[in-house]
Order: sequence, then C-alpha cells, then structure tokens
Amino acid sequence: MELQAANPKTLRSSLVWRLTVFILLLVICFIFPWIVSPLWLRIGTEVVMWAGLAQSFNIICGYTGRLDFGHGAFFGIGAYVTGMTMTLLGWPFGLGLLVSGIVSALLALAIGYPTLRLRGAYFAIATWSMGELIRQIATILDITGGAFGLQLPAVLNLPYFYYIMLLVTGLTYLTTYLLVEKARFGYKLLAIREDEDAAEMVGVNTASTKNWAFALSAFFPGVLGGIYAYWVTYIHPDSVLGGQITDVMCVMAFLGGIGSLWGPFLGAIVVQLIQRVLWVVWGEGTFYLVIIGVTICAVILFIPNGLVGLLEGTGLFSPRESVNELRKKIKW
Amino acid sequence: MELLLQTFIDGLLMGGLIIIIGVGFSLCFGVMHIVDFAVGEWVMLGAYTGWLMVRYFGHDAMFYLPVIFIIFSALGWVIYPVILQVVSGKRFNPAIMGLIFTFGLSITMKGGALTVWGYHIQSVPTWLTGKTLYLGPLTIPGLRVSGFFFGILVTLLLLAFLYKSRYGNVIRATAMDRDTANLLGADVRKVGAVVYSLYAGITAMSGALIGALFSVHSVMGAKYTMLAFFVVVLAGMGYVPGVIPAAIILGLLQSFVSVYIGGRFNLAALFLVMYGVLLITPKGIFRRGW
Amino acid sequence: MKRLSIFALITLAIFMVGYAQAQEKRDFFKIGVVTSLSGELAFGGSVTKRGYDMWEDAVNAAGGIDIAGKKYKVKLVYADDQSTPATAAVAGERLITEEKVDFILGPYASGTTLALAPICEKYKVPHITGSAESPLVWLKKFKYTFGTIPPVNLGPRSAIQTLTQDVTPKPQTIAILGIDDAFSKFSAEAMKAAAEKAGIKVLKYEIVPEGSDYTPSVTAIKSLKPDIFAMGNHEKAAIEMIKIAKELKFNPKAYVQHYGMSTPDFRKGLGKDIEYVFGISYWTENMKIQSTGLFKNPKEFADTIRKKFNVDPDYTEAGCAAAGIAFQEALRAIKAAPPLTEAQKDALIGALEKLDIGTFYGRVKFATEGDAYHANAGLESVTLQYQGGKLTEVGPPKTRVALPKYPAPPWDKR
Repeated sequence: MELQAANPKTLRSSLVWRLTVFILLLVICFIFPWIVSPLWLRIGTEVVMWAGLAQSFNIICGYTGRLDFGHGAFFGIGAYVTGMTMTLLGWPFGLGLLVSGIVSALLALAIGYPTLRLRGAYFAIATWSMGELIRQIATILDITGGAFGLQLPAVLNLPYFYYIMLLVTGLTYLTTYLLVEKARFGYKLLAIREDEDAAEMVGVNTASTKNWAFALSAFFPGVLGGIYAYWVTYIHPDSVLGGQITDVMCVMAFLGGIGSLWGPFLGAIVVQLIQRVLWVVWGEGTFYLVIIGVTICAVILFIPNGLVGLLEGTGLFSPRESVNELRKKIKW
Repeated sequence: MELLLQTFIDGLLMGGLIIIIGVGFSLCFGVMHIVDFAVGEWVMLGAYTGWLMVRYFGHDAMFYLPVIFIIFSALGWVIYPVILQVVSGKRFNPAIMGLIFTFGLSITMKGGALTVWGYHIQSVPTWLTGKTLYLGPLTIPGLRVSGFFFGILVTLLLLAFLYKSRYGNVIRATAMDRDTANLLGADVRKVGAVVYSLYAGITAMSGALIGALFSVHSVMGAKYTMLAFFVVVLAGMGYVPGVIPAAIILGLLQSFVSVYIGGRFNLAALFLVMYGVLLITPKGIFRRGW
Repeated sequence: MKRLSIFALITLAIFMVGYAQAQEKRDFFKIGVVTSLSGELAFGGSVTKRGYDMWEDAVNAAGGIDIAGKKYKVKLVYADDQSTPATAAVAGERLITEEKVDFILGPYASGTTLALAPICEKYKVPHITGSAESPLVWLKKFKYTFGTIPPVNLGPRSAIQTLTQDVTPKPQTIAILGIDDAFSKFSAEAMKAAAEKAGIKVLKYEIVPEGSDYTPSVTAIKSLKPDIFAMGNHEKAAIEMIKIAKELKFNPKAYVQHYGMSTPDFRKGLGKDIEYVFGISYWTENMKIQSTGLFKNPKEFADTIRKKFNVDPDYTEAGCAAAGIAFQEALRAIKAAPPLTEAQKDALIGALEKLDIGTFYGRVKFATEGDAYHANAGLESVTLQYQGGKLTEVGPPKTRVALPKYPAPPWDKR
C-alpha cells in the first residue's frame, strides 16, 4: 500500500491544500442561501439534513459495528415530539427541538439496554421490528393524530431552516469528530466493533459504551426530525416513521464510506442529488430505486470502503484497520 | 363458539401460507448464515411470473408452480457466487455486508418491478378461486386450504430430503460445522449454491400461490419479508422443523388479535412479539436456533 | 487528498448551477401541476394527469382562453411530488420560482396538498386541487388554495341515505371496516356518522392497518350478521376485502365502498363480483348536465377520454378538468393576460371566490366560510351501484336512472 504522505514536505503542502478547500467549503455553506434560488436552497437543506442523518447512522453502524435497521424511528420520534409539543403544549420551536433530541436519546438508552446484547443480524431484525412497532403505535394513538398526521403552523423562512439544519448537522459532525475520532471513546467503539469479547476482556465496559454510542446516535436524528416537522409542516407515520428513512440513511452511509467521518456527507450529497436530478430531468421516481439498489450492491462488492475509500486512493479491498491508522497519522 | 372456531381456522390457514417462505428462509440462514432481506421480493417476483405465464400461455396458475420453481432455482444458482463473494472475504464486517447486499438486491428488485409494472394490482385467477369448503358452521376457503396443505407438503418433502437423503446429510453437516464438513470432503461452495437455489425456487413458487390467493403488486414484498422474519425469529434461525409451529402461531396471533382485541393492533402485536422473542429467547422458542 | 478536493469543487459547481433565471415575456398561460407521477399514489396521480391533460387539449383546441377578445393557449408543466409531502413542497417551490408559473393545479392526495398549500400561500400563487378530499385541507383555511371536490366527510352520506330511504326492507344494522390511512379513515368515519344519523345501528366499526390480512376482521363482522357492510379504503384493500367476503361466504344485504369502486382497477380486480356494490360519486358520465363551456355534457368528456386514453373516466378526472375550467372562467372575469402579475394573482383569488358556474362536471362554487373553506360547496354526491356490470346512478330519487337493487343475492346464488 502506498503512503502518499511519506515526504514531510508533501505532507505539509497537501495539508495546506486540504485546509483551503475545507475553509472554502465552509464559506460556501454559510453563504449558500444567498447565492442560490429557493428551489436549490430547499434541495441544499435536504442534503444537509440527510448528511446529519447518515452520520448518526454511521456512529452506531460504522464505528460501533451494529446494524440498526430501525434508526429512522428516532427521526420520526423527533418529528412527532416537536410537532406535539408545539401544537398540543404550545412550546416554542427551540425548546421542542431540545426535547426531541433528549427524548430520542432516552428512548435509545431504554431500547439499547436490552437490545444491544444482540449482535449482527439479530440486532438488525430487533431494531427493525422496534422501528416498525413505533410506527404502528404512532398510527394507533389519537394523540399523535393517528393516520391523519400532525400539522404544524406554517413559517416559511427558508434560509432560517437551512441554517438550523446546518447547525445541527455541523454539531453532529463535530461531535463525531471529537468524541469518536479523537477521544478514547472512539477507540473503545472501534474495539467493540472489531472484537467485542476481546474488548470486554481488556477492560472496556462494552455495555455502557455501546449504550452511550446508541444514545448519541439517536440524539441528532431526533433534533433533525424536529426541524423537518416544522419545515415541511405536515407529518404522518408513513412520511417520518416509514422504513424508507432508515433505508436511505443506510445507503448514504455505505455509499459514502461507512466508518469514516466524511463518508456519510459524501453519500448524502451523491444520493440526494441523483434523486433530485433524476426527478427534475426525467420526472421519474421509480427507476432511481433500481439505480440505488444496483449502486449499493456494487459498493458492497467492489468498494466496501465507499467513495471515501475510493477518493483516498486506498483502492479496492483494503483492510479497514490500516486505513484508520493511516488517517490518524494524517489527521484528516 | 362458532366465532372462536372460525377464528382458529382462519389463523391456521393464514399461518399455513407463510410456512413455505419461512422454511426456505430458515434453511438459507442455517446453512449460509445469510439473512436475505430480499425474501419478500422473491415472493413478489414469483407472483408476477405466475401472472405473466397465465396471461401469455393460458392454463391455470397452479400448473405453473413447478415451472416457477425451476426458473427461480436457476436464478438463485446464478446469483449465489456473488453473494458468496460478499459474505466471505476480509472486510468491514461480512455478516453486515451480506445483509446490506441483500438489502440492495431487494431495492433493485422492487424498483425494477415498479418501473416495469407500475403500481397496478393484478389478479391471478385459478380454478380454486371462490371454492369453499363447509364444515358444519365453519366456512373454509378452498384456496387457502390448498395453500396450507401445499405448504405442509413442500415442507415435509424438504425435511425428508434434509434428514433422509445422503445429500441432505451433507447440507446439515455444513450447517452445523462448515469447516469440518469441508475437511471431510463436502464441497461447501456447491452446498451453498444448492441451498440458495432451493430457497429461491421455493420462495418464488410460494409467491405464485400467494399471488393467486391475494393479488400481485410491486410493493407486496415488504409484508412477506416481515412475516418471514417473524416466523424465523420465532422458530429459531436455521431450525427448519420449527417453522411449522412458528408459522401457525403467527397466523393464530394475527387472527385472534384482530377478532378479539381489534384489527388496529394486528401489526403492532406482531412486532411486539417479534421484538420480545429476540430479547428473551433469541434462539427461538425451541431454543434450537443458531 | 487531491481527488477529494476536486470532488468538492465539482459539488460546488453543481450547486452553482441552480442560479437565478430571467423573467420571460410570453403569450400563453404557463400552469404548474403538482401531482403523484411516481410513488405509491402514482396510480391516483395518473388519474389527475388525465383530467388536467384533457382540459389542456380541449382549451387549446378551442384556440385558448378568451381574455377580452384575444385567445391565449395554455401549457401545463408537471412536477412529480413522488407521493411524499416533502417533495410536494419542493415541487411547488420549483414550479413557482424556477418555472415562474401563473398558477397551480394541485395534487391527487390530501397529504401532499397539505404540504403544497403553505408554499402557495407564501408566494401568493392561486392553487386549485381537482382531487384532494380530506377535510383537513379546508380546516386550515388557506387563502390561495381551492378544491373542486367536496370534502369526503359529506360524501358517503348519500349512499347511506339511499339505503335508508329507497329500499325495502329498510336495513337495520351496519358494520364498517376502514383502513388506517388519512383518507380512508375519514371515509369510514363519514359512513359511521351518516349511519348513526339515519338510525342504522353500527354493530362494528373497525380500523385496520394497510397490508394486514383482513380475513379475521371480515370473519368477526360476518359473525355479527350486519345488513350493510361498508368499507372506507382504496380499491386495492377493497378488492381484497370483497374477495375474502366471497371466500368466507359472507352475505350482507349490501356492500358500500368509498373510494375506488368507480375505478377500472376495481372492475378488473373483481370481475363479475363487482355486481351490487354501492358507492358514491360526485359525477358520472350518464348525468344529465348541459354546459355551455368546454365539453357540452358528461358523455362528451367521457368519450373524449376513452378515445385518447382508452379508460373510463372517474369523477377525479372530471374534477381536475373542472379545476382548469374554474381558472379559465375566473381569468376571463378579471381579464388577465399572461404572464400574471402579483396583483392579477390576488384578483384571481377574488374572482374564484365569486365564481358560481355550471360545468360538465356540475356546479362549481367555492365556499367562502366554514369548515369546508374553499372547497366546492356546489355539488351533492350521488349513489352508484353496479348493475349488469355497469355503474348506475340509483340515488337521489330525482336524478337516478334506476332503482337500487337490494338485497344483494348470496354469493352461491349468483
């Protein structure tokens, strides 16, 4: 495997280059609403939201090694909590968001405690059935509006929503970077992912670590869900608690690069843009599913490290561990 | 009393339909340790194929069941090496990769069906449609009874093959301990291919039956994936004989909840039980799962 | 790392692509249509598309909309809402800000309409939906949104009324089975309310999730032996429920269903078993309506649709075409030529509120107050029944063409 950064001089100049691009991107993100049309602002807001969602999925799946097929439920719960606190209790938006995040995280802790004992396919199926159960509950209860859904007051200030989404997604990435990539917490997660029993034996409290990771991964979708509810103004069980939310999160994270910091972001951009562009150009919505399905199969087969792996030049079939070590050295 | 009996029969028959799907799915998991998220989509494809054949070649849908079995077994045989490639190999987490791959397959199949056939609902009539059996005060739909017995028959055949034939022993040995079986001369790759094609063929064939019983629809797959999961979780992943009682329990649960508690809680009850079983006895209620 | 950066720059370039577009001068009306061209409601969306397309063809065939002597053609620009509210909002945004349409013709489903309406409010663009029926849409009192179909909580009433007033022996009991989705539940509740009001005892009112096996619910209903079996659902569930009823040899004296019994898929799915099923509609092709506008009478509309699309029309197609006609008449009233200015769009709202016209679809008059704000208050539903394989109007008495057939013979005797 080639190490591009063998020479300290090239390491420094590539660092400068990367920093410049990063800052440029940051600037674009900030001035985005003022330079594009409202349509693209909406699309941009969607992309930002999905980037956050995909990253939250990445925390529990990519870093902790647990496939959570019901992760979308936290998004839906957040949407409903904000919806209900705003319409039934009359609370302000910001408070509703905070409550959404906390409720999601608490629910994750409650679910996680018994469920995280399971592994692999069992965990996937268990979380999937829990997610579906939550959707059924939302449909049955009248307080959530049941099948009629929930309507929120309409506030149409697109840049406002964009910035809030950006803020929360940014926090998601920052938290992931600080807690998972840099701190010891992250190493513990990786240890659990690679060999849980060994981790337990060297003293990692796997149960509590997994639980905290799960709660963390649920907090952000909860808040994003709350923003979504207020942004779209109408939610119902199928639109925010349906399986398709998890499906899309999953595809984005895997396509971009599971287990990497920027993978979900890349995945979100690519998938959402493919979908929107196909929609605008072709007026078509179902062939996109075929494309996504084939893409995900191709990614699993040929580039399991996702687009990030491809772009980093680590090529095909490279072991994940070495990539981690490499990245720690280059500090991306 | 009459309602109780009728509810019981309904539940029994509902469960019976799911037996075949559960059997194939459980076998696939037991031998290859792959959870195929596309199981519902195999059902859907089988249903559409049955519909197409009746449409273009005439005759009765029941006539085509063996044909569909053969077609989809062949398809399974072809796809297997790809799945094998995904599941083995040193990368992120083979089990999860396998899951995501079959998940990708299911999306592709669903998207393909939607693109080609759209959202229209199709019906597949057979000579059994509308024929009813009367047993005292009970009404028993003919098509469902046939489905039930067909399911039992196929399961028994499969079990006979697995437990009585020589190759069946090889398959079970591979399921129990892959490496040892390999050392003892079993062609593990071929075993996997045989199992996967059997699974695909059986599942698609049951799809054709279900298409005749209910209707054929591009998004019908999700429902059967869910039911297959439920049955296999209850039975224990990989424990094929457990599928029959598990499927019957599924049917009875749905039936009794709908009639005595309320139709709204139907699906919620299913998911609750499935989640509960996974937490309390992840190896299934017989504790013989993997 | 260079590759990552280049990729980032390309992404940037894509974002810049959506930059502003110039305002154009045009001599035709550009109309945006948001409807479900894909997704699970694509089916219903295609019905609305037929209706809107029919209107476009007819108007252009007549030379265009006549504004103060000059005729302007119309051009429809479609945006797919993919059957999800979020996409409906994006679609609306795109049509208004990028395509700069004059006004909007609305979606098939109520959920998507609910997400689209605030967008129309924000940009002050008039919007008529030819299909959405949920009362929820009107409760919000959107100023810029109208609908040509009355809310569903009033519709099924007429079927129940026909069954109580025009048949002997009068039915005493009813069981209602509905699907737990936004629209179907309203339908079921409407049936329940109508039954209670008419003095029919509701033996069972059950709501089940979509996709479950309906056998146990039908079994439970059968054991109660109701006179009427009413279903609030869409055609897919209805087909299954009736099939199950037949299998279980459940023989209520009447089947009532809304919505979907008038669609081709329903007929195809059940074949001969559709006989005797009751339903409601706001329009059928056999109605005796005369109009001076586009399409002289319902038959003409139906024939034109059959010729172009080879399907029998349902009241949704008619409602959509009527939405176009409503805009047409309102535009003529304010004498506005394209492209419409802000002031003209506002004036259009006023004109729509004052509208009271007779069309091939029936009367179009939008309510200006009350719970059904801006829904069409000018229409009453009629009761339909399948007789001899054909949809026949059997109520109310003054407009019907045949008497309702009641009770329905048991399955064995058909």
